[in-house]
Amino acid sequence: MVMVLIVMASTGQALAHAALIKTDPVDGAVMAQAPARFSLTFSEPVSPLVLTLGTPDGTPVALTSFRLSDQTVEIDNPRLLKSGTHVLSWRVISADGHPVGGSLLFSIGAPSEPPAVSEAIDWPLRSAIWIGKVLLYAGLFLGIGGAFTLAWLAGDGRAGRRFVAGAILCGLVAAPLSLGFQGLDALGAPLSHLAQPVIWRTGLGTSFGWTVLIALIALGLGLLSLAGPRVAARPFALAGLASVGVALAASGHASAAEPQWLTRPLVFVHGVGIAFWAGALVPLGLALKRQEPGAVKFLRRFSWAILPVVALLAAAGMVLAVIQVQTPSALIDTAYGRLLLLKLGLLVFLFTLAALNRWKLTALAEAGATEVQRRLTRSVGVEVLIVLAIFGVASGWRFTPPPRALSLAAAEPVSVHIHALQAIADLSITPGHAGPVAASMIIMTGDFGPLDAKEVTLVLSKPDSGIEPLKRAATKPSDGSWHVDNLIVPVPGRWMVRIDILVSDFEMVKIEAPIDIRP
Amino acid sequence: MNKYLLAAGAFLVLGTNAAFAHITLETQEAAVGSTYKAVLRVPHGCDGKTTTAVRVQIPEGVIAVKPMPKPGWTLQTKKGKYEKSYQLYGQAVADGVKEVDWSGGNLPDEFYDEFVFRATLKADLPAGQKLYIPVVQECGDAAVRWIEIPAAGQDEDALENPAPGIKLKPKK
Repeated sequence: MVMVLIVMASTGQALAHAALIKTDPVDGAVMAQAPARFSLTFSEPVSPLVLTLGTPDGTPVALTSFRLSDQTVEIDNPRLLKSGTHVLSWRVISADGHPVGGSLLFSIGAPSEPPAVSEAIDWPLRSAIWIGKVLLYAGLFLGIGGAFTLAWLAGDGRAGRRFVAGAILCGLVAAPLSLGFQGLDALGAPLSHLAQPVIWRTGLGTSFGWTVLIALIALGLGLLSLAGPRVAARPFALAGLASVGVALAASGHASAAEPQWLTRPLVFVHGVGIAFWAGALVPLGLALKRQEPGAVKFLRRFSWAILPVVALLAAAGMVLAVIQVQTPSALIDTAYGRLLLLKLGLLVFLFTLAALNRWKLTALAEAGATEVQRRLTRSVGVEVLIVLAIFGVASGWRFTPPPRALSLAAAEPVSVHIHALQAIADLSITPGHAGPVAASMIIMTGDFGPLDAKEVTLVLSKPDSGIEPLKRAATKPSDGSWHVDNLIVPVPGRWMVRIDILVSDFEMVKIEAPIDIRP
Repeated sequence: MNKYLLAAGAFLVLGTNAAFAHITLETQEAAVGSTYKAVLRVPHGCDGKTTTAVRVQIPEGVIAVKPMPKPGWTLQTKKGKYEKSYQLYGQAVADGVKEVDWSGGNLPDEFYDEFVFRATLKADLPAGQKLYIPVVQECGDAAVRWIEIPAAGQDEDALENPAPGIKLKPKK
């Protein structure tokens, strides 16, 4: 072996590197079935040093069974290959004793999709967050909405006062606790860490901190409207109701969606509508049940106001749902979509019941039919239960990023800025995870001037996984950047990118940097 | 491992006789201030394809270039201004040949050929260093660019497509 090296070394630089002429499978091939063997044909006889097969899950398999025939290396495929993208990497030594390496990609079935990432779920914390959220909704919608109903619609009736006060107190306990849970969730800490100050600071620092602060103000206004002087009850209740909308618009998936000028007002309208409707149910039901003197008048005012409110509420909800879900298939494919379907199912039930009440029973009840009033009371009771169930479902959204956010996160590119003396390149790979990707490069001279390159080649390698350089020539569409479209990044992790820039016929600049590809 | 040893052994037999893949210069040393006959050796096509053109960039400090015509190839030169004016036999020379092209030829991958030009290496070229002469080998649509020049401290053998070069020796 030493002899060989000496002989080869002595031939010096006159001898040269082998060039790869032909491969089977060809680079980038997509095949129905794995080939029985691979072959690499070089411009001269070579001797393999390392042959590796990178599998779709990222584990390299050493290929040890091969034959040399003239300039071709024939390699046996050692195993049954799973579907997905594989990397065949070689490092061979040619006549000059200098190793050369390279890689080729081929896919069985179809190119690899990025593997799904799952993380451990802290169920006690999740349950706590969920309960906190349901109670907060109860405080905001049943409590403050109820206070608004009592101040504006119920007249002199006092039915439901204690329930409304209870709901508001519920909210006053749930709001700060939710903030703590939010802090735990943000830091990934278990429930037992709830007492630590850092948890609360973190919770307050998130956008949910604003929701909690405004919700506390809203709950306080609701309480004032209930317990304060009667003249001030109406303005306090109105301010409380508006604060509910603001609190909800301050955070959450829907408020975070673009365009914000549209989504935030929609969330406001949706929240105020829910509070108006849901808040009225308990006082109204109780007033009818107790056959209070003002109950019929109360019912008339409510029936008159509820139609436009529900219309606005439903319209805002529908627009938000479309923005969040994007494609109909996401309704079934994502947890967010399935929760939305569940909520819609409950809503259909609720609307049917409400419509029946509104158009069948209300007129009769207003006329004073006692039996009908009893039926109406029962029906309102069921409505309250459905509303609570809807709060439960909506609280579940806390844990399911909407399809909009999922696709945004997945499509996020990874970028690298390579700054060398002779050239600068801004490379971005979209999407920034393993699988089929597109690369885009902006090339400039070392002092940020325009660089009209003749050719640009993107070279990717991953030495720690034994993946030798993968080369792709870039094309230049009219926008001035360079693109590589037929690229698959087979495994995630740290890759080395090299950009070979042909500045002029006789001048090449090569710049290099690492880039991290997400799973 | 046996397999690798065997392969390496087989390679010993083939190895020294293996074809040269790089374009190189036959004479790899020259004194500054002398006349140099550059013989470019083209051992291969571009990844197996037939060579149809060889283009040579003349580096600064190499003047009075005279290429040798080849039957079957169209010889052309591109002239331009030098970075500075040189003295040649008592006369100032400010421009001359910057590129030599042999094109329209047909050199199959399995054959070998040489391309020749003569030039004067100016005395102010840095002796002790290497002078690189970038070459573009064209094979129809394909091309191999033997234009890579090692950066300071970089091993020339690490380059994929090194430019042919000569070691400059002190003036005789």
